[in-house]
Amino acid sequence: MFLKFNRLWKESPLKSSYDAVIIGGGLHSLAAAYFLASRHNIRDVAVIEKKFIGCGAAGRNTAIVRANQRTQENIPLYKEALDLWPILTKELDFNLMFYNCGNLNLAHSDAAMKAFRMNVATAQFHGVNSQLVDARQCKELVPALDITDRPRFPIFGGMFHPPGGIVRHDAVVWGLARGGAKLGVHIHQGTEVTGIGVKNGKVAWVDTDKGRIQTTKVLNAAGAYSAGIAFKCLGQRLPISVLTIQAMVTQPLKPLLHHVVSSGAYHAYANQTLKGEIATGAHMDPWPNYTNQSTAHYIKHQAEAIGEMLPCLRGVKFMRIWGGLADMTPDMAPILDGNVPVEGYYMDCGWGYFGFKSSTVAGKYMAQYVATGECPEMLKPFRLKRFEEHRLMGETAALVDYTANN
Amino acid sequence: MAFLITCPLCGPRDAYEFRFGGEDKGPRPDPETLSPEAWCDYVHMADSRFGVQKEWWYHRRGCGTWFTIYRDTVKNIEVSSNDREADQ
Ligand SMILES: Cc1cc2nc3c(=O)[nH]c(=O)nc-3n(C[C@H](O)[C@H](O)[C@H](O)COP(=O)(O)OP(=O)(O)OC[C@H]3O[C@@H](n4cnc5c(N)ncnc54)[C@H](O)[C@@H]3O)c2cc1C
Ligand SMILES: [Zn+2]
Repeated sequence: MFLKFNRLWKESPLKSSYDAVIIGGGLHSLAAAYFLASRHNIRDVAVIEKKFIGCGAAGRNTAIVRANQRTQENIPLYKEALDLWPILTKELDFNLMFYNCGNLNLAHSDAAMKAFRMNVATAQFHGVNSQLVDARQCKELVPALDITDRPRFPIFGGMFHPPGGIVRHDAVVWGLARGGAKLGVHIHQGTEVTGIGVKNGKVAWVDTDKGRIQTTKVLNAAGAYSAGIAFKCLGQRLPISVLTIQAMVTQPLKPLLHHVVSSGAYHAYANQTLKGEIATGAHMDPWPNYTNQSTAHYIKHQAEAIGEMLPCLRGVKFMRIWGGLADMTPDMAPILDGNVPVEGYYMDCGWGYFGFKSSTVAGKYMAQYVATGECPEMLKPFRLKRFEEHRLMGETAALVDYTANN
Repeated sequence: MAFLITCPLCGPRDAYEFRFGGEDKGPRPDPETLSPEAWCDYVHMADSRFGVQKEWWYHRRGCGTWFTIYRDTVKNIEVSSNDREADQ
């Protein structure tokens, strides 16, 4: 009855030196390790994970993928990420369950429609399928929407992005881990990075609670923990606020929602999983912390928002709620950089709540950066120095600010 | 993850009454001697430390006072300033 199954990757003893050490066992780390091994033949790589792989935001996100961002620097990155899902599904021989059901983003004012018009034009310029739709078309796409003027925020129209959708996040973790391990990557779970050793301005070792590892290259890709690790290990300060973001699912329902639907005004998004649950999220408590706590406050908020957006869901029960961390930057764009503040140190962080959809492409280019020491063209706009140069990216129209004036 | 914050005037109140005002970064830098690096550090950069930090809060839905507290970012609870010394 019970089939014997093999482990997806094998445990290896912690060696005293590696060509490269990657901090964290989330998607960005595992992707970088996989691409280092598969594209650059750097296989003597250790992925160091404090608890178990996928325990962080990698296994807590709502798995939405899309490439209809706002700026010319960001769109090509996310477009390549979207194109990578079918390629990696084949290459890793692992069903990542890419479900390109499309994303519908609702506008609740003329101003929001105008903003979408620019987003759509930018996406189309970069070859990404994104369309402006009116309220009637929204209703055709999602019949459960109320397009009368009854709701708190009436629907003026929307932005529809057919190639986006959902990917199974755990499958990506397991597929990348198995793929990397097959090529020789060591995955060390239950091992915490406690320090980074620097000699003559260069990375010389990484300290863990299981011992010291000699290495000249370290990639900090520990998701929302990256900022705290950078400060603790190197005294490096980053323009990052680590906030808890929450999500929840309802009881399973018959198929009724065939696209991801989101609304900035309600501050909520929802999609129906293949099991039938409505997965919904978005709320962040606006004070930095490192907990995964969830709140009753948010259940109430979400019930109100979803009940207005999709009135047929009123009275449906929430089954589970959970939280995870998001490392927010002031311009909603990530920080991808190398050799600051010391040679051999690389960072891939500041992804906020966009780090799932980007994980594979970030891993691919960070692997190239670590392997060659040269920053790939694709990553140049994302360097840390942009904050000092006042060249923040326009992913949001207004600066993200968690202080008291907004 | 609501928790209590102690306003110096109103006492312990629900955190949702307050607005977080950022890590305490000391006095605003002197504009006379300011470099782009120092300004960026003051405006954007944060320690994001694991553990106790000194930080600003504003009693927005209350008396309107600005004040600092110490909070443990790993547990998300307010602590007394003595705990900070113990943490370092
Ligand atoms: C509720 C929620 C919903 C989200 N929804 C979406 C979405 O729909 N679409 C999207 O694109 N993104 C989404 N995100 C964001 C996305 O999940 C993250 O940006 C992304 O997963 C972060 O990268 P990661 O997987 O590499 O990080 P993580 O999975 O967080 O990996 C970091 C790892 O580092 C480990 N670690 C920490 N400290 C140490 C140490 N000292 N030593 C060793 N290891 C350490 C942690 O245990 C953890 O496993 C969401 C996030 C959350 C929380
Ligand atoms: Zn008060």
